Amino acid sequence: MGSNGQAGKLLQYVSVLIVAISLNFMLPRLMPGNPLVLLAGVDVGLMTPEERAEIVSEVGLDRPLHEQYFSYLGDVLTGNFGYSYRQSRPITDMILERLPWTLLLAFSSLLFSSAVGIVLGALSAWRRGSVFDLSLLNTMIAIDALPPFWIGMLGISIFAVRFGLVPSQGAVTPASGYEGLEYIRDVIEHAILPILTLSIISTPRIFLTMRYTMIGLVGEDFIRTARSKGMTERSILTRHMIPNALIPVVTVLALRLGYAFGGTVVIETVFSYPGLGRLIFEAVSGRDYPVMQAAFLLFTVAMLASNLLADWLYPKLDPRARRTL
Amino acid sequence: MNQRILRLVGIFIAFVFVFSMVTQAQVERFRIALTGDESTINPYTYVTGYPGWNMLTLQYDTLYQLDTSGVPQPWLVSSAEVSEDGLTVTLELRDDVTWHDGEAFTAEDVVFTVDYFKEFNHGRFTRDLRPVESAEADGDYTVILTLTALSPSLELGTLADVPILPQHIWSEIEDPGAEDATFEIDVNVGTGPYKMVEYQADQFYRFEANPDYFMGAPAVQELVFVIYADLTGSIAALQSNEVDMLVQPIPPEQVDLLSMGGDIEVASGPLFTTHMINYDMERAPFDNIAVRQAMSLAIDRQDLVDTVFLSAGTVGNSGWTHPASVYYNDAIETTYDVEQANAILDEAGIVDSDGDGIRELDGEALSVEFLAQSNNSLRIRMAELVREMLLEIGMDAQVVVLEATTLDEAVWPGFDVNQGRNYDMSMWGWSAPVQADGIRVASLIHSDPAIGSLNLTGYANEEIDALSAELTQTVDTARQQELMADIQSIIAEELPFIMLLYPDGMYAYRPAVYGDWEFMTGQGIFHKLSFLP
Repeated sequence: MGSNGQAGKLLQYVSVLIVAISLNFMLPRLMPGNPLVLLAGVDVGLMTPEERAEIVSEVGLDRPLHEQYFSYLGDVLTGNFGYSYRQSRPITDMILERLPWTLLLAFSSLLFSSAVGIVLGALSAWRRGSVFDLSLLNTMIAIDALPPFWIGMLGISIFAVRFGLVPSQGAVTPASGYEGLEYIRDVIEHAILPILTLSIISTPRIFLTMRYTMIGLVGEDFIRTARSKGMTERSILTRHMIPNALIPVVTVLALRLGYAFGGTVVIETVFSYPGLGRLIFEAVSGRDYPVMQAAFLLFTVAMLASNLLADWLYPKLDPRARRTL
Repeated sequence: MNQRILRLVGIFIAFVFVFSMVTQAQVERFRIALTGDESTINPYTYVTGYPGWNMLTLQYDTLYQLDTSGVPQPWLVSSAEVSEDGLTVTLELRDDVTWHDGEAFTAEDVVFTVDYFKEFNHGRFTRDLRPVESAEADGDYTVILTLTALSPSLELGTLADVPILPQHIWSEIEDPGAEDATFEIDVNVGTGPYKMVEYQADQFYRFEANPDYFMGAPAVQELVFVIYADLTGSIAALQSNEVDMLVQPIPPEQVDLLSMGGDIEVASGPLFTTHMINYDMERAPFDNIAVRQAMSLAIDRQDLVDTVFLSAGTVGNSGWTHPASVYYNDAIETTYDVEQANAILDEAGIVDSDGDGIRELDGEALSVEFLAQSNNSLRIRMAELVREMLLEIGMDAQVVVLEATTLDEAVWPGFDVNQGRNYDMSMWGWSAPVQADGIRVASLIHSDPAIGSLNLTGYANEEIDALSAELTQTVDTARQQELMADIQSIIAEELPFIMLLYPDGMYAYRPAVYGDWEFMTGQGIFHKLSFLP
C-alpha cells in the first residue's frame, strides 16, 4: 500500500511537471510585446519588413506554435536551454554564473531566519501572553506587512549611504583584483545588507508557525503526561515541545528553499545583486523568451523538488503521517 | 651643512610637486554606473542606443566623428571628395591608425565593413548603409563609395554612425546573427581609445586606455562600468562613493539632493530627446484637425517644464525641431491659449450637449484612453497634468499606465508601421538621434512606411509626402533649410503629434576624480571626446 501511494504521488509530481513545462512555454508568448528589440537592436523600427522577417525566422519564431512547442520539449528533455536573445550566450552558462550568488543569499538568510524564528517563536509561545510575547508578536506581524523593497532601500540609505558601513549595491567591488581572504571579505561585506533584508522578511513566517504550533501543543495529552511525571519545565520544552513543533516548521523551510531558486527578484533588484532573480527581472522586461523559460523551469523544478523533499521528510519526522499514507 | 639640507628639502618639494602634477593629468580609474547589462558590446551584441552605442564607439571608430556641436568631422578619414553628380565619394584614410592587436588599419577594413553589414543584417548599421551601393579600395588608404542616390545624411547618419570592423577578426565569424552565434570579448578589437578587457555579466565591464590612440592617449587609464539594476540603485551607489558618475541623466528632483554634499557636481545642457503625445489620426476624435489644434493650444508646455522638470528643459516647438538645432524654424509660435482652444471646438460644432462637462463629436463623448509608460515616472506625471489641462476644454483623457513593452506593442505593433496601431493616445518620445539628424523628420511624417518608418500616428498628407521625400534626396544645405522650415510650419498647423518638451540632460559626477567633460549639443557628456586630450 505504501509503495502504491508513493507511486501515485510520483505520478502526481510528473503530471504537474508536464503541465508546468507547457504553461512555461505558453506564458511568455501570451504576454504582449515582442522580442524583436532584443533580436534586432533598438532601431528595429527602421528595418524593412523583409529584414525583420529574416531575423524572426532565424530564431524560429515564425514556425507554427506546435512545432515550436515540440522542439522546446525536446530541448528541455535533453537539457538544452538554447541561447539568450539578449546576450547571445548559452543560457546554461548564464544560469550557472548567477546560481551561486542566489544560493549564497538564500542559504544564509534561511539559516539566519530559521534560527531566529525558531528560538523566538519557542520563547514567545512559552511565555504566551506576556509583554515579551505580545510585543514580539506585533513586531513580527508588522514586519510581515512591510514591503520587502522598502526594507531593502531603508537599509541602503541608513547603512550604506548615511554611515558608509557597507556597500549599497552589487556582489563584489567591481574590477578590484581582490584575491583570497580579501575577496571573501569583499563578498561578505556586499552580502550583509541583502542577507539581513531577506532574513528580516522571512523570519515572521517561521516565527508565527513555530509559535502557533507550540501553543497548540500545550494542551496535548503527552505534555500533560510529561508534567504529571514530574519532568522539569525546561526539559518538557526542549525534549517534547520543540521537537514536535519543528515538524510544520520543516515544511515551511523546505518550501522556502524551493522558493529561493527563483531568486528573490525584488531584493536582488534593489541591491543590484547578480543572481537568478535579477536574471528573471531583466529577461521579463526584455521579453528574452528562452531565458524566461529556462529560469521559470528551474524555479518549477526546484519548487516541486522541495515539495517532494517535504513529503519525504514529513513521515520520517512524524510517525502519525506514516499511517495516513 | 644647513644649506645642503635646505637644498635637499627644496629638491624633494619640487619632486613631490612635479609628481603630483603628473598624477593629476593621468586619472587611474573612473567608475561609471550603467543601468542594465549591455551584453558583450561588439557591433552585433550591444543592446541600447544609449549608452550601448556610446560604449561601442569607445572601442571602435567611425569614419566621421561628431564634434561638440554635433557636426560630423573627418576622423578615420583625412579628407573626402564628392564627384560632380554627388554619387561617388572618395575617402582618403589616415595612415597612422592601428587595431588594438597591432594590425594596421587599411582601406580593406572599410570595404569589408560595408560588405559585412550589407550581408549580415544589423538593425542599425545595415539601415545606415542603405545609401551606399558599394565600396571599393584603391590602394591601402583610399576608399571609393558609390551611392545609390543623393544622401543628405551620409556623413551624419552613415559615416559617423557605422563602426569600422577589423577584417582579420570578423572574416572568421560566419554568421553573427545566427541564434547560436556567441561572442567572447576577445572579438572586441577596434581602433578606438579604449579596449574592453573584462566583462562579468550583470556586474561590470573594465575598459583599458589605448595608449597609442591616433588622436592622443585618453585621459583616464581605466574605465570601470558598474551594472546596476535600476537608477535608484545607481544613485545610492554614487552617494556612497561606489561609482564616480551616472551615465543616465538624473531626474530633476535629484539635482539639489546630490549636489548638497559638495563632492558631486552636475553637468547639464540641452538634449535632443523628446517628450510628446502621439495619437491615432485615423480614428475619432483625432482625425478631426479642430480637436488636435485645440489640444495643442490647451496644453501649458511651460507648466510641464516647470512642474515636472523643475524648469530644466525647453518648451516643445509644435513643429517638432529643437530650438538648439540648426534646422529650427523660429517663425513658429507655440502658444498656450485655453480660450482660443475652446473657441475652435465650439466653432467646429464639437460642444457639450448633455452638460456633463465633456464635449461630444458626432454623438460620441471626447473621451479617450491616454497611455503612459510605467517605468517612466516623469511621463506619468506629465500625463496626469495634461489630463487636467484637457479637461479645461471638455476632453476626457483617462490616463492608463502600462508596462513599457506592452505600451510599445499597442502604439507600434511589431515595430512595424505596416501593422497599424492599436491605441487612442499615448505619451511617447524619441531618442536623440531622431532629432539630431534633422532629415530624419521624414520618417515621422511620410505616409509610405518605406520612408515613414516611425510614422506611428497614421499621418498622411500629400504636401508633406512631397516635401519630406525631397528632403531625403537633397544635399544642398540651403534647400534643406527651406524644406525643413516648410515642414515644421505644416507640422505645427496640422499636428500629427503634439511636441511637449525637450528635457535638459543632467549628468552627476565626481569632479575630484575626473571632470573634463565636453557637452555635445543634444547628446550629453558620455562620448569619446570627453576622454580625449
